[in-house]
Amino acid sequence: MLTIKNLHAAVDGKEILKGLDLEVPAGEVHAVMGPNGSGKSTLAHVLAGRPGYTITSGTVTFNGRDLLALSPEERAREGVFLGFQYPVEIPGVNNVYLLKAAVNAARKHRGLPEVDAFEFLTLVREKMRLMRMDESMLSRGVNEGFSGGEKKRNEILQMLVLEPALAVLDETDSGLDIDALKVVANGVNTLRSPHRSQVLVTHYQRLLEHIVPDRVHVLVKGRIVRSGDRTLALELEQRGYDWLLGEAA
Amino acid sequence: MSSAALTRLRDEYLARCPTLPESVIGASRRSAAIEALCAQGLPSTREENWRYTNLRLLERARFAPAPEAEHSLPALPAPLPGFARYVFVDGEFRCGADDLPGVSVRTLRTSGSAGEAWEFTAQLPESRLALLNEAFATDAATIDVRRDATTEGIELVFIAASGAQSGACYPRVRLALQSGAQLTVVERHVGAGEGSSLVNSAVRVELAEQAHLRHYRVQKCGARAAWFDTLSAELSRDARYELLLVSTAALAARSTVHARLSGPGAELALSAAALGEGQQSLDMYAMSEHLAARTRTQQTFRGIASDRARVAFNGKIVVHEQARGTDSRQSLRGLLAGAQAEIDLRPQLEIYTDEVRCSHGASAGKLDENMLFYLLSRGIAPEVAQHLLKWAFLEDVISRIAPADLRRQIELGLAGQMSEAATLKELL
Ligand SMILES: Nc1ncnc2c1ncn2[C@@H]1O[C@H](COP(=O)(O)OP(=O)(O)OP(=O)(O)O)[C@@H](O)[C@H]1O
Ligand SMILES: [Mg+2]
Repeated sequence: MLTIKNLHAAVDGKEILKGLDLEVPAGEVHAVMGPNGSGKSTLAHVLAGRPGYTITSGTVTFNGRDLLALSPEERAREGVFLGFQYPVEIPGVNNVYLLKAAVNAARKHRGLPEVDAFEFLTLVREKMRLMRMDESMLSRGVNEGFSGGEKKRNEILQMLVLEPALAVLDETDSGLDIDALKVVANGVNTLRSPHRSQVLVTHYQRLLEHIVPDRVHVLVKGRIVRSGDRTLALELEQRGYDWLLGEAA
Repeated sequence: MSSAALTRLRDEYLARCPTLPESVIGASRRSAAIEALCAQGLPSTREENWRYTNLRLLERARFAPAPEAEHSLPALPAPLPGFARYVFVDGEFRCGADDLPGVSVRTLRTSGSAGEAWEFTAQLPESRLALLNEAFATDAATIDVRRDATTEGIELVFIAASGAQSGACYPRVRLALQSGAQLTVVERHVGAGEGSSLVNSAVRVELAEQAHLRHYRVQKCGARAAWFDTLSAELSRDARYELLLVSTAALAARSTVHARLSGPGAELALSAAALGEGQQSLDMYAMSEHLAARTRTQQTFRGIASDRARVAFNGKIVVHEQARGTDSRQSLRGLLAGAQAEIDLRPQLEIYTDEVRCSHGASAGKLDENMLFYLLSRGIAPEVAQHLLKWAFLEDVISRIAPADLRRQIELGLAGQMSEAATLKELL
């Protein structure tokens, strides 16, 4: 599904990703953990195609295609979804309209007709119930005035409606209360399938109790310095990152 | 303004004055207006309050009114349900509904008597273009609204049909609401023909105690037109005036608004949206004078300039000594959507008393990169994402348009202007 080889990325002349390798096979859920400032969000942004990053070397292959050659909107239409660490408020752009436009953009890309308005609303309502979101949020501006937790839930709602092939969720669990965490985990789990992959950037082992990852990677100073199964997350929880910092050099 | 232009102005007036209708404005009043105007000179961009106006079209203008001619008129927007429509061509009344319950609409050119003529330039700190209108106006509409008026609203459609080379047009309206009266007025300025007209309108609004006027103005003149406008309003005790302008067309547009809040508790909510592209210059000067206690002004401006367009808003609030408890808010925002575009925002505040609450914010900037990327990351095409954000930017003003049908018309118009992409229209 996703293969990253020797990825180097810089922002404002400063190298953040320094030879990152990562392989996420189809159907798997991988967790990426690491200290603050290690480059996790940078990785997520580079995958989504955010402007401002310079890729100095390395490759990213998504379903056999060169992901880096695609524009952000093409990546989204091809099935890459970024759950933002800090979802953006866009007052005046209606939440449900954005959802619909996003769905239709992807459908058009695949040569499908636009979604039927009634079916679409039915689907959205169903997913909202799953996310325990109030329906009134649909008619509000995108994330406008949403609480931190509501924004994160809205990200997952978008993911559930768009059903991406590859979801990169950047700290979607941060700022969630215990119940909301379960709701979000539940949402992520419903999307698990042999055709989809998910990359969860997280600081907390807690999330991984609800979403059991196939692999856990540790990102330190712009590189993956250790990978393992879910027990690695437990180990990090107990020992912190200090013991791995040396390996990044 | 060159003296040559003033000489031409006077000559054109002298040649034309014998045929200008007395019932609209008396001859002596017209002459006085021309003399006052020539003494002051026409506005110039060297003046502080005219710096951002494109005055070139005015300087080259033929000032005399365009002669009556057969024009093919443009298709008008769909009628608004419940609104009585009055159509004016080159400033002159063409057709409209008969009497409405509680509302009298008189057009003075054909049916007015000498005593009905009115003028308002004396009250204005900036009266020059209103004087120009007074000298040349060929018709005037006088609308009186009683407290028992039950009409949903009236719609005034001004079609500028003649090209500027054959002369100017001078729409002229007086709207007077009696004590406790309420009305919604839609005032449209549209273009016809080659769209190069010169329009110089003058509007007078008088709100008696507790009157409530919702006044929506839509400037959609021709692409090469110049639209100049002076609006003066007087608000008595507890009167409420909601004034909203959407200005998207014309090559050069300038609206000068002067509101006097002279009765305690009077309230003005002035909102304006301007969408400029190409070489357009859209300028507005709005002054609110607080002359009584507990008066309130809220100014909201949202302007977008693309390409090489220039969009300006100069909002001045003056709080006089006797206007204790005044509350004024200004929220002026501009969006630069082109490397060579220009936005000029000027909030001004003059306060001569204590116990006032005045807040203002003015900011101009580019489209928010984070918002843009968020939309792209959801698969939205860059052009559509930009249009959506521009759209959202104007929402603060557009959402204040109370009549749903009018709002929808304006929204569709904006969507059409901002984007050919069907996506945006579908999103509405
Ligand atoms: N424009 C920039 N100029 C210079 N450095 C930057 C810029 N943007 C980000 N960085 C740096 O890049 C590094 C990686 O940032 P990133 O947001 O990827 O970290 P992260 O692993 O997601 O951290 P966190 O756990 O706190 O979310 C940080 O040290 C950050 O300061
Ligand atoms: Mg981060």
